[in-house]
Amino acid sequence: MRRRSRGITKIATTLLLAGIAFLFAFPLFYLIATSLKTKADLFAPVPSLFPPAPTIDPYISVLFTRGFGGLLVNSIIVGVSATILSILLAFAICYPITRLPASPRLRAFVLNWALSLRFLPPVAVVIPYFAIVRAIGLYNQLPALILVYTIFNLPLAIWMLRGFLDEIPLEIEEAALVDGASRWYAFWTILLPLSRTGILAVAIIVFAFDWAEFLFAFILTATPQAMTFPVGVQGLVTQFEIIWNDMAAGGVIAILIPLSLMIIARRHVLTGLTFGVIREK
Amino acid sequence: MTAAPVQPFAIAARIRTAWIARSRQEQLVYKLLLPVFGSVFVIATIPFILATIQAVTSDSGEFIGFDNFARALSNPLLYESLKQTGLYAAIALPVEILGGLGIALLVHRTVRSNVARAAIYIAAMIPIVIPQIAVGVVFRLVYAADSGILNVLLGQTGPNQPLWLSSPPLAMIATASVDIWQWTPFVYLVMFAGFQTVPSESVEAAQVDGATNWTQFRHIELPYLRPLLLLVLFFRIADVIRVFDHVYVLTGGGPGTTTQFLSLYIYRIGFKFSDLGQASALAVVVMVAMILFYRIVSRFLPADRA
Repeated sequence: MRRRSRGITKIATTLLLAGIAFLFAFPLFYLIATSLKTKADLFAPVPSLFPPAPTIDPYISVLFTRGFGGLLVNSIIVGVSATILSILLAFAICYPITRLPASPRLRAFVLNWALSLRFLPPVAVVIPYFAIVRAIGLYNQLPALILVYTIFNLPLAIWMLRGFLDEIPLEIEEAALVDGASRWYAFWTILLPLSRTGILAVAIIVFAFDWAEFLFAFILTATPQAMTFPVGVQGLVTQFEIIWNDMAAGGVIAILIPLSLMIIARRHVLTGLTFGVIREK
Repeated sequence: MTAAPVQPFAIAARIRTAWIARSRQEQLVYKLLLPVFGSVFVIATIPFILATIQAVTSDSGEFIGFDNFARALSNPLLYESLKQTGLYAAIALPVEILGGLGIALLVHRTVRSNVARAAIYIAAMIPIVIPQIAVGVVFRLVYAADSGILNVLLGQTGPNQPLWLSSPPLAMIATASVDIWQWTPFVYLVMFAGFQTVPSESVEAAQVDGATNWTQFRHIELPYLRPLLLLVLFFRIADVIRVFDHVYVLTGGGPGTTTQFLSLYIYRIGFKFSDLGQASALAVVVMVAMILFYRIVSRFLPADRA
């Protein structure tokens, strides 16, 4: 009897979890299905769940006919540059507070300051940035976005990197220093190689955040010369007559890059999203 | 009672002594940290100062006092947007937090296989890492009138179909449901990680004592999850204040002011009405409010954070 009721519980929970999974997966399935439909399919009186004649035309149309390939390149340039800058700055800030005897108060001040930036809504920050960027002639230029993204995701980079550096025992470097190595040498030959995985994880997460950013790019750019991919996708959704398959293809491309990066760095995603509070083993 | 006159040289000398008293390594901390952190600090603080200056000067640069603040704070639309933001949070946050917690409990208790757990981990990560703009695209396909898949599945494509994105109560439900879709998995992941930190000895002891599922959750596991629940709540509140992207592409803040949440409202004042003075005043008020909010929050965060 007991065994049987356990079996029923098991089936019930499996069904429940499957139901929840379906609710979450279905919208994504339909996005992909729509992105593979032909123009003719869009005029069907009742939209079909599966593309009747799957085609990659919408992707070609988005990337080449509409010229979103250029926006993709902009997104990559901005993302890669801002990620590198964020990591260099984060390293310069994290090194003294994790590897040297910084006072706990100084350490707490730096980290708290960084975290408090996370609580500022971008729309409040973008208003003064808009004025600065126009005043120094960087409006609609990629460097403006690189600069803003570097600063905006720096707190995340600092918190994540600090977590990784804290895990590397100080003794290894100290042993080298006692043996007469210079601090620079110890940094270059011991700390840097040991923190390589950590740096890579931070880079992936920061890049994914830079890639997904919309509001700053939306306000600080005006033409395809500097627009990023999400701004282009926004145009596909808000135009008067939506071309559904192109819009869906744009959505899929926007998703693909952060999704594949996050799957590579899956053990660190939660750490990144909670600013290092949750640390996966 | 007169205060002892302060000698500038005495202060300089004291700083000098304090500096020399520090070990060479401690000096190195400041030498390395100051240039980089100092410049970053300044760059990140400039917008705040500039917003304040923008708010108290006219376009031609004369000082106009607190006019912009008065206009910003007396605009009834501000309170309307705060109300709608609160409503959005009141719909989305309880569902996300209780739902995420519930699913975490369910998976923790019933799913034993590591492969299945890892698969659920990856699956739960997918909605979280999707750019908000793309989430807007996804739900445009779901909620659109006539061709949206939801109404098709409901068999409601006629003239009386529910207009998910353009009738007031439905637009609120639709935008909040998108938030729930994207962030319940986040709460799940945090809570599931939290369940793994509960020491198995306490759970076993409780089970020997005959604790039911509920008492085990309530008295053994929940205390371990409480700091994480607070953390999630704070992060989600900060996120609701910044909600913009998916709402902008789904409803544009409409119909009327139904989904004109705080961030969309500030955007509208600043960039649709080009009233940057009023928008700057709003930005300053919001930044100050969020910094105060952070000060309160930081007291409740786990102690080992800094």
